[in-house]
Amino acid sequence: MQDRSIIHLNVTDFAVAVERLQDSSLKRIPLIVAPEQAARALVYDMSEEAYGDGVRKGMRLDLARRYCRRARILIPRPGLYRKAMTALVAQAIHYTPLLEQGEEDGHLFMDVTGTHRLFGPAPDIAWRLRKQVLKKLGLDPVWSLASNKLVSKVASRMARPLGEYIVGSGEEAEFLAPLPLSLLPGLSSQEVGLLRDFNLERIGQLAQLSREQLAVPFRRRGEYLYDASRGHDRTPVMPGGTGGGGQFCREHHFEGDAAEDSELQGVLTSLVHEIGRQLRQEGKVGQRVGVRLTYSDGRDSVRQATQAGGTDNDFLLRQLALTALSRAWQRRVRIRSCVLICDRLLPRSRQQTLFVLRSCREVQQEKILTAMDAVHARFGSGSIRLGQLFEVKRR
Amino acid sequence: MSEVTEQKRGVVERMGELCPVLIGTSGYSYTEWVDSGFYPRGTRAPQMLPLYADSFPIVELNYTWYQMIRAEAISRMIAKAPDTFLFAAKLTRTLTHERERDWRQELKLYREGIRPLQRQLAAILIQLPPDFEWTRNNRSYLAQLLDGLQGFPLAVEFRHISWAKDSVFAELQRRQVTLVTVDGPSLPGLFPCLDIVTNPSLFFVRFHGRNCQGWQSGNMQKKFDYSYSADELQEWNGRYLSSLRAQADKGVVFFNNHVRAQAPGNASLLREIL
Repeated sequence: MQDRSIIHLNVTDFAVAVERLQDSSLKRIPLIVAPEQAARALVYDMSEEAYGDGVRKGMRLDLARRYCRRARILIPRPGLYRKAMTALVAQAIHYTPLLEQGEEDGHLFMDVTGTHRLFGPAPDIAWRLRKQVLKKLGLDPVWSLASNKLVSKVASRMARPLGEYIVGSGEEAEFLAPLPLSLLPGLSSQEVGLLRDFNLERIGQLAQLSREQLAVPFRRRGEYLYDASRGHDRTPVMPGGTGGGGQFCREHHFEGDAAEDSELQGVLTSLVHEIGRQLRQEGKVGQRVGVRLTYSDGRDSVRQATQAGGTDNDFLLRQLALTALSRAWQRRVRIRSCVLICDRLLPRSRQQTLFVLRSCREVQQEKILTAMDAVHARFGSGSIRLGQLFEVKRR
Repeated sequence: MSEVTEQKRGVVERMGELCPVLIGTSGYSYTEWVDSGFYPRGTRAPQMLPLYADSFPIVELNYTWYQMIRAEAISRMIAKAPDTFLFAAKLTRTLTHERERDWRQELKLYREGIRPLQRQLAAILIQLPPDFEWTRNNRSYLAQLLDGLQGFPLAVEFRHISWAKDSVFAELQRRQVTLVTVDGPSLPGLFPCLDIVTNPSLFFVRFHGRNCQGWQSGNMQKKFDYSYSADELQEWNGRYLSSLRAQADKGVVFFNNHVRAQAPGNASLLREIL
């Protein structure tokens, strides 16, 4: 099997970098991006200076203000960050179609395996892309190069806030070994805590444990820990979405925290349409829909709903999403952001079912979705939407 | 290692008054060298250096230009090569081409990073960009850079013609720094190919290929897409290499035309000619 060349491009503190491009007077001023008016607002992003004073993403704004009194507070502008992200992708797509982007966060994975005859060695591609992004967009990304996504992501964290990092193929485990466990992607703070209880602090210590040993405290997660600690990661670069490893993900941050059912349902509906369209474009169906809610006090809640056999029908996906929402939203606390995840993907079967006849309603729905996809393809993603009815409750 | 094997690996011994020359390539880790047949089919990146070392006694490290050299990565790399194998390492771009960061700090990192290589280091290659002209500021910067790298064997490659001055050569001679002899496309403004030896303990040659169109394309695959013919190398040997070998104790020659494994092909050809 050929060694893969995965570039991870990361504009650090993306929201701050974009705000500073818009207003150069913000340079060198400590910045915190957070919805100031919202009750119990959380930090969305912060500048290196504010980070140096102890401010962290997801921290309560009142606390962040105490840590960095000199910081200026900016209200998040997701639309602006999305536009900057699109411009970043436009620079990178020239080098490879295998490009996976984050949601308005300045992260890009690029699989440039096999492009050397066109563009030269992978380090040269990464270096030229960084130069191009700096010149054309004014953004200065760090970059890393490794044989998989996991290692390239860790490497770019090592390169921050400026710089680059190349991890040679075959050196993944040695590169990770001296690093703290908290740098290993995908580990929850509870898992890190549990590993600390076993006196494990470094990734190399974790890599010394066998699959059987890891299975005792971590069960199925032990498999991931075994591979990740050795720098093994076979997940492909998924063009388009943030979801690696066979999942589609969409995220929405509420500018002010949301408390209304209708507001959340509206947002989820539009996220469902985005994912539904992506599923149909790629000829896939999703068997599980998950909703992750982040409350305004920083706590998370994740719940799922499943559909045997999978679906790419927006109407069904929406039902699943709303079921997952009702399961996830159990607290009387406002919502900061929600993520819709569709996973357990299967290729869509083109064969009709033999015994189960589709109802007229299903046929109608499919026709509507096909027509909407055609309109989207021709006039853009915001050109047409499904409406939604809310029941008016009489008291 | 026997003398015959040494000869096969590219160490061309002194014949009469001519000094030995080590021949290698600029970089060794190219996937396309597997496609082109230099490495056996199925060779993976970690296996390349030991295989390369079977054919050549020296390599120029290119990746140290793209990223700051790191001691732990260098140590891992050295372990894969024979003890007698030598390396030339490019100076990082943040000290030559992109000097926006604090260059003194970068220099400190470079000195620390290259330490494990010291015993097998043929030279640090300071490749200066084409827009690095002979100006007061640039002269001062280069002097500080050379001072900062004191203690290491150094070779300087100029790309701009304005540095082709006797005063420059004299200063390099005074500092015992090698002037890199470059074979490249004949384009106006480029530093010329000269057989001047400023450091008698080492001469340093780089063959970039003579692809005039590709040179200005900004694409490495076009820039270094060139294969030297036997006649061209023969002529070069007579005109420059013999003269360089007569003036120095040792020489290193690198082929940078890596595209489609033309570099190792030309390196082998030159070895046969010598």
